[in-house]
Amino acid sequence: MSLLPRFRSWMRSVSHPSRLHREMDEELRFHVQSYTDDLVRSGLSPAEAARRARIEFGSADAHKEEMRVSLGLRLWDELRADIHYGLRMLRKSPSFTIVAVLSLTLGIGVNTTIFTLAKHLLMDRLNVPRPEHLRLFNWVAPKGKTAVHSMWGNWDNSGSQITSTSFSYPVYQRLRAANRELADLFAFKDVGRMNVTVDGNADVVQGEMVSGNYYEQLGVRPQLGRAIEDFDDKPGSAPVVVISDGFWARHFGRAPSVIGKTILLNLTDVTIVGVNAPDFTGAKSVQVSPDVFMPFSLQPIVLPRNGVGSLLTDTHHWWMLIMARSKPGVTDAVATAALDLALKDAVRSTMNPKAEEALPTLRLGDGSRGMNETAAQFAKPIYVLFSLVGFVLLLACANIANLLLARASARQREMSVRLAMGASRRRILRQVLTESVLLSVLGGAGGLLLAFVGSNEIPLLLRNPWEPTLVTTPLDWSIFAFNAALAMLTGVLFGIIPAWQATRTEVNTALKDAASTTTRRRHGYAGKSIVAFQIALSTLLVLGASVFLRTLLKLDSVNTGIDSHNLVLFELQPPLSRYPAGKNGELYSSIEERLAAVPGVDSVSASTSALLSNNISNDDFNPTGQTPVPGKEQTAYDNAVGDAFFSTYRIPILAGRAFNSSDTATSLKVAVVNQALVRQFFPGQNPIGKTFTTSGMKDEKLLYEIVGVCADAHYQDLRSAPPATFYMSYRQTPDISWGMSYEVKTKLARAAIAPSLREAVQSVDRNLPLIDVRTQQEQIDALSQQERIFATLSSAFGLLALTLACIGIYGIMSYTVARRTNEIGIRLVLGAQSRQVLAMVLREASWLSLAGVVVGIGGGLLLIRLIHTMLYGLRTYDPVSIAASAGLLVGISLLAGFLPARRASRVQPMEALRHE
Amino acid sequence: MAKSVDLLQGTLDLLILKAVSLGPLHGYGVLLRIQQISGEQLEIQQGSLYPALYRLEHQGAITSEWGESENNRRAKYYRLTAQGRGLLRTETDKWNRMAGIIGDILRASPEEV
Repeated sequence: MSLLPRFRSWMRSVSHPSRLHREMDEELRFHVQSYTDDLVRSGLSPAEAARRARIEFGSADAHKEEMRVSLGLRLWDELRADIHYGLRMLRKSPSFTIVAVLSLTLGIGVNTTIFTLAKHLLMDRLNVPRPEHLRLFNWVAPKGKTAVHSMWGNWDNSGSQITSTSFSYPVYQRLRAANRELADLFAFKDVGRMNVTVDGNADVVQGEMVSGNYYEQLGVRPQLGRAIEDFDDKPGSAPVVVISDGFWARHFGRAPSVIGKTILLNLTDVTIVGVNAPDFTGAKSVQVSPDVFMPFSLQPIVLPRNGVGSLLTDTHHWWMLIMARSKPGVTDAVATAALDLALKDAVRSTMNPKAEEALPTLRLGDGSRGMNETAAQFAKPIYVLFSLVGFVLLLACANIANLLLARASARQREMSVRLAMGASRRRILRQVLTESVLLSVLGGAGGLLLAFVGSNEIPLLLRNPWEPTLVTTPLDWSIFAFNAALAMLTGVLFGIIPAWQATRTEVNTALKDAASTTTRRRHGYAGKSIVAFQIALSTLLVLGASVFLRTLLKLDSVNTGIDSHNLVLFELQPPLSRYPAGKNGELYSSIEERLAAVPGVDSVSASTSALLSNNISNDDFNPTGQTPVPGKEQTAYDNAVGDAFFSTYRIPILAGRAFNSSDTATSLKVAVVNQALVRQFFPGQNPIGKTFTTSGMKDEKLLYEIVGVCADAHYQDLRSAPPATFYMSYRQTPDISWGMSYEVKTKLARAAIAPSLREAVQSVDRNLPLIDVRTQQEQIDALSQQERIFATLSSAFGLLALTLACIGIYGIMSYTVARRTNEIGIRLVLGAQSRQVLAMVLREASWLSLAGVVVGIGGGLLLIRLIHTMLYGLRTYDPVSIAASAGLLVGISLLAGFLPARRASRVQPMEALRHE
Repeated sequence: MAKSVDLLQGTLDLLILKAVSLGPLHGYGVLLRIQQISGEQLEIQQGSLYPALYRLEHQGAITSEWGESENNRRAKYYRLTAQGRGLLRTETDKWNRMAGIIGDILRASPEEV
């Protein structure tokens, strides 16, 4: 018989339960009434007829029950009864329910959030068709002997070899022409920040240069307008760009009229011809999209270089990234071999390498995730987070298991009674299962909520306060399902197993068992090992929290050597096309003057590198009269600064003088050096009046005279000690090509002063946007952001773990005491002091916690060894952290064990003996 | 009045189908019709009628509709569906074959064996 009518009928019954009920009543009533009428007609009195009809018809409720069975509603009815009963049981013990649901919520929610973030940062692929076919080119050469000397981009020279993904344009052209083994080669390069002016508003964008076949080979189409085509990437072609969806939304409010619009890009007119789809992030990164895509042909006008000709003809400088799709049937090994020959040919023909220089060897890497920089950047912190939240999930599961085990023993009697009254074992197991699933569903719902909040909040932790959020992580349902399933499995397993055991025992034994209490140590065995496991996990998490907290505290208490209060920073990147290096000193000075005149500004300074911003510059440093010692470091950090730099940062001048207006572009070049430099290059000498040479950008020997010595200040970050540094006046530095950072001392808040600063800069050039307006303190906090995240999260997890462990110990000890009340009573009767009973119970609690603590510390130290590079100012075996976490755990365990212990010691012997 | 006979196990569904095939009936009407056709010889447990009706409706053999009874009360009327008609036919065949076989067996005399 077909299932469809049954299903329809079932759905009807389930979806309108009250109507079904009403109609059943009405139908049966009609029957009885009709029968009564007939009986009256046959001569009975109405009352007698009604009585007879009701008797003959039987119990309406019983019939209705059977009618529901006919409708296939039996399982449904029983399930509803189970759920109803389960909810009542959960309501009856609210603390159990709350703790269990919260454990599940946290376990599921936190893990889903972190797993989702990790998957997005480490594993997601580019949003293009068939990303697995993409190959990213890279090369490898012996370190120090490679023919490639000049690179722009990422390289890795950590081993004995240097590897890089950068190629020169001429090499790219030759490789592309020689390629038979892969689909057409295409290239791209993230060129970093560019200034853009849209309708008179200056802003900063991330630019990306791409080859003419980039879109075609990636297989993506813009959502609006057209892609960049081959004909755009020819010298002299009209300047066009394709913009990102984000840029379109920010600056054009998603107006379709954007196509054909002209904007100023680094002061060059370019026309927007297309808008990328929202989910397209380019070929380099899965997480972040550049704002403006332009063909390589625009490089000479949009990103001109300082008098060294076009990048597109430069054979010396390696900078662009190359990708291609694999061809079916051609293995990577075959393609690599062929293209390696082509690369070596190209290097020989374009660079004339010297005989002793090694030619780079080509390799094909996985391009499905682009450059996958985030993986390199975040892999370690993510794995640490992974382990932390993994422990939290374990802990939550252990907690659930513990709670359910304890509850099952408490309900042993109830189950025996139900068995005795004729409930089948299956029926009881189903009831327990329903309760476990109910708990899991409640916890899962909470976890889902937490994951939703978390996946919106966590990315905020990863950004700087002055930058837009770069990483967005939509909730990943498969990860949620995994975590929820894991938690649910734990719940079901630890709900069912004890129930299984409970229902297997003979009804009689179980009913008697509670009355004949003896010392049954085996009973609490599973529970105790779970509690010890919980304590071990908690110790581990607390230990982790304390090393991260202490690292953060150490970083926060680093003496930076500067006064970071009331300082607002921002950067400027004047396009070289209007302000060529060497001719931009004028611009920087006039901006400095305008800024100083802004009301509320106390002093203004400028420097080529902002302090404590992970930016550094270094150069060779050759003191006059010292012959270089082979192997000795002859470089020092440098920074070209404004006159008020030292006073603005409150860096004391210890000898000589700071820069002043008498130091001009034409006067004698002077420098201020720090103590570290004096220690390194002039130990025991007075450096004032000494001279040194340094190279500058164009490899010319520039002579400087030291006129002052300043105190040491941290340059790049908090972790490395102040390096040997010399400061120059930016007016005497001929080659500032990467822009300038300004430091403004003001008592006003950043948001309050920013508009007037912007106005002051744009009164000099209205196309100059302010970049990264932030306070020096925000900048310093950003340096220890990762440490802050870890300290915060691990402390929260540690606290959570402590609470759970506390509950676990309290629960298991209360349970033990309750079971041993009888025994304790006997002991008391036989003369035991209540102090002895207290000690006996506490001793058991401390053994439990000691075992857990020892295991936890051991495991924790092993794990900390893996992450010691993330710590600062601590040894791997930090005695303070170890002592603190062990002490905390033991203390808390004893506290949690104390209440049940006291209860045991106050047992009244007579009561205890009667206790059932 | 003739002595009434208890209903054979499993035949109630068939009788309901037959009764309803002669025209739409409410539950009480089904009962009356069966008793009437049987010449008041069949005794049907009143309570077992409704679970059977619901089972047949659940299977799609009959369908129901609220209507007005002869004495102006609201009553639920059952009618046969196309599927029910098919069911009635196969069940009737089955019953007849079975009855024939049983009859043959019961009529068998010692010579025939």
